[in-house]
Amino acid sequence: MFTSTTFLSILPETLILILGVILLIVEPFWKVKDPSSGGDEQRRNAGWLTAGGLFAVLVISVLVGRPGDPTSTFGSSIRFDWLGFFFKMLFIFGAGITALLLMDHEKVGRRGEAYMLLLASTIGMCLMASAADLITLYLAIETTSIPLYVLAGFMLTDEHSTEAGFKYLLFGAMTSAIMLYGFSLLYGFTGTTNLYALADAFKSGQLAAPVMFGLIVLIVVGLGFKVSVVPFHFWAPDVYEGAPTPVSGFLSTASKAAGFAVIARLFLVVFHDVAVDWAAVFAILSAVTMTVGNLLALPQKNLKRMLAYSSIAHAGYAMIGIVAVSKLGITSVVFYLLAYIVTNLAAFGIVMTVGRVTGSDEYDAYRGLSRRSPWLALVMLAAFLSLAGMPPFGGFIAKVLVFAAGIQANYIWLVVIGILNSIVGLYYYLNVLKYVYLFRMEKEDEEAHPIAVTRPYAIALVVLVLGIILLGTVFAPWFGFSNAAAMNLF
Amino acid sequence: MTPDLIAFFVLALIAIAAALGMLLGRNVVYSALFLVLNFGTVAVFYILLDAPFIALTQVSVYAGAIMVLFLFVIMLLGTETLPVSKALPWQRPLAFVLALILAGEAGYLLFFRKVTSGTIPQPVQTFGSPQAVGQALFNQYLLPFEVTSVLLLIAMVGAIVLTIKEKGGQGK
Repeated sequence: MFTSTTFLSILPETLILILGVILLIVEPFWKVKDPSSGGDEQRRNAGWLTAGGLFAVLVISVLVGRPGDPTSTFGSSIRFDWLGFFFKMLFIFGAGITALLLMDHEKVGRRGEAYMLLLASTIGMCLMASAADLITLYLAIETTSIPLYVLAGFMLTDEHSTEAGFKYLLFGAMTSAIMLYGFSLLYGFTGTTNLYALADAFKSGQLAAPVMFGLIVLIVVGLGFKVSVVPFHFWAPDVYEGAPTPVSGFLSTASKAAGFAVIARLFLVVFHDVAVDWAAVFAILSAVTMTVGNLLALPQKNLKRMLAYSSIAHAGYAMIGIVAVSKLGITSVVFYLLAYIVTNLAAFGIVMTVGRVTGSDEYDAYRGLSRRSPWLALVMLAAFLSLAGMPPFGGFIAKVLVFAAGIQANYIWLVVIGILNSIVGLYYYLNVLKYVYLFRMEKEDEEAHPIAVTRPYAIALVVLVLGIILLGTVFAPWFGFSNAAAMNLF
Repeated sequence: MTPDLIAFFVLALIAIAAALGMLLGRNVVYSALFLVLNFGTVAVFYILLDAPFIALTQVSVYAGAIMVLFLFVIMLLGTETLPVSKALPWQRPLAFVLALILAGEAGYLLFFRKVTSGTIPQPVQTFGSPQAVGQALFNQYLLPFEVTSVLLLIAMVGAIVLTIKEKGGQGK
């Protein structure tokens, strides 16, 4: 039963688990004398260990753990293919950057448990991307969510954070119960939990149309919550605002991408033959999500809330690729998520860096940033223009691909809505940059208030900006990877 | 009447009485104990249906772990007796209407629709036996089984994080 492929198929998860256990064991004993607090013994920051470990996992997995032809392992609980592998690498990258961003967070950074929770959540996401069985899938989703509930509410003394954690938990528990109901009906009607066996059951058309539609609706509720599509988006702004900033960044990028990985596999493998039924529903969801997200982002005055609404809108754009139900469609979704993870992590990285010094996430805190810290302002320019979809950044190529997939699938109206929404988006992204570049601090000399960028933040931001530019200029190899991932679904 | 049928009716009566006792009890601890009784009778139902594994799970997980947790929480909160409840004004009429609808539906299905259940295929003798469950759990579902251990570890870490008292200020 066990071959080397079996172990390779869960290599990243195993390595992350080992890293997590090492972290839990070593961290309490690993103390240094901290001169700043009068020579008291302080726990050493576990962030370096986590981030370094995750990047080592990334390198090892890319070197030895690459998949060959799609195979099923662990009694077909796991599908070992490029789609899963590519997403896993994305999640590990995102988690590594998040660990760097957590390091200098005043209340979270010095507590090893936070990094352990982050690692556990990453394990869950990796399993989500490769799960080929409803039971594994459900467990993976819960393994992803439960650590995130705790991380969102990590700052016990901060009532916004507690509220965020609690709200996320309540929404998550409810939607996951509804989705589980859908899964159980799926099993009840077909007698199997394996996704690929389910696909055969759907091919033979043994389910009545209303039953199938009901099932799909139940499942969409759970996954829609994960990717924050519009009727299930209410948690996002409050949770993003209250949670520690790096955690919000992780929620809006890796967690969302994991949701899309599941949607892609579930809907293109299991429900592929009934695509006409759900594609129309997804098209409407996509249009509403883009519009509502962008319009609600317009009046925001708090950068974290604005990014929350913008991340809702981005889920809408990415969904166009799913609606297309084509190879190009899935390729574009994968590429979109790649560009989005890199860009949005950079955006949240800046919020974290600036918020740490100014103690505020309001737009007003960003007045004169270009004079206080020119390099930081430049990073922000790159990230926000990429979010808005401007060349030569990754966001531009991503949007082009998604819209191209929409046109190829004859969803012209959806693409028109998408383009109109991009214009709205451009407005509010530039609005923030207006504070950064044009506005001045009142009666203050900006150069007397520089914004210190500590080493972990500098590393994270440089890596992300290079990524943003690389994705927008040398995009062919990334497109190739996305394409290889998409091929596994057809 | 076969012995099974007699056992079923006796148990059914106990189960319903226990459920009613749980709902109508004014003392939370009594309610919780009634629920334990209800879970216990349901476990015996499972044994009657030749499903010993589920029966034992029912006893150890529901009647054992979960209900003990309930009792602990009740004790710790010190809310043994319920305060006089302030029912919402529209709650009773709504409950009445919903109950009527449910009774109507059940009556319709029982008396007016000829339900033909068809032939339900008899499950194999070992279906759901502890051996079969164990075989499936450690072969086909080995990975999900291991994932639950990660989940439990995280639940512990999370519980500690959320309940620990910070020693004022940064770091600990």
